[in-house]
Amino acid sequence: MSEPKVFDKILTDIIRQEKGIRKVILVDKTGLTIANVSKLSYYPVDVDSIGAIASAVFCASEEQGKNLQIGELEIVTSEFSEGKIFASACGKGVLCVVSEAEVNIGLIRLLMKKQGVQLAEELDKFLAVEPSTPAKDRELDEEDLKSALAELERV
Amino acid sequence: MRKDDRGRIHLKLVFYGPSLGGKTTALRWLYGKVEGLQKGEFTAIEDETNRTLFFDYVPMSAGGRVLFDVFTVAGQKRHRHQRKVVLQGTDGLLFVADSSPDQRDENVESFEELKLFLGDALGREIPIVVMLNKRDLPNRMSRDEMLDLLGLGGNVPIYETIAIQGVGVKRAFQAIAREVILKRMYK
Repeated sequence: MSEPKVFDKILTDIIRQEKGIRKVILVDKTGLTIANVSKLSYYPVDVDSIGAIASAVFCASEEQGKNLQIGELEIVTSEFSEGKIFASACGKGVLCVVSEAEVNIGLIRLLMKKQGVQLAEELDKFLAVEPSTPAKDRELDEEDLKSALAELERV
Repeated sequence: MRKDDRGRIHLKLVFYGPSLGGKTTALRWLYGKVEGLQKGEFTAIEDETNRTLFFDYVPMSAGGRVLFDVFTVAGQKRHRHQRKVVLQGTDGLLFVADSSPDQRDENVESFEELKLFLGDALGREIPIVVMLNKRDLPNRMSRDEMLDLLGLGGNVPIYETIAIQGVGVKRAFQAIAREVILKRMYK
């Protein structure tokens, strides 16, 4: 299994290479935020919500491309008056970069493409966790599920 | 099993069903009225009349290290592709059927679409709970009529609900959450 720290390292590498990047988020295609890093330690955004929207917007664009038969989606760019959002495919996930308005778009695209390959490989390992999960982890998961079940009855 | 970077288990639940059937109302009721659940921000992608355009989303937890990512879909027919996107990776479904007789065809169409999107996984790998909503309507369809309409046998848990008042909503949510957890534990 891939360690979550691997994702943090790759995302940090991305954020360090362009000073205009504010936040980098890795989500899967179900809308789950897997990892995220920010340039500022205090950046008041609801990451889970941002991740869910980023994933949905990217997947909706993919679906649009399929309907129009115009090939594979590489990147979605959203331009706002005070910032930009980039989302690109990385295997089973979506890499999302939030930046200031004035950034080197070419560099960001290049970074996302390059790191996207590595992220795709790590994601494959991370998401293929079930068959190789050690017995101890499985027991912990079962404990978590049992405890959630008990809590649910008390709601 | 979907996990985040803190190792917490995430389970995705989706409210599905025809337009104006009460999906968002039910989720908003859970969000606003159920105190035992810990909830994150309510995210809604909707138009200016509050009709859902893509989805609503709230992360919820009954405590501990298991989180429910709860979504609704946009019910209007033209948002078919958005619904397909929201369904990706679903662990459990709450189908919200509308008890109004004039929504008969819309209920059937929506359920047929769901079967088309999920195929054999529906009800087998992906548990489903059905909410027969708007049970306060004076001219509501009977329970049996609705179950016949949807082609549902005795295996699917059915809850009669009034989403706007919260009647039955918590029980339906607990039922699908329980089903999904048990599915994960004993798969």
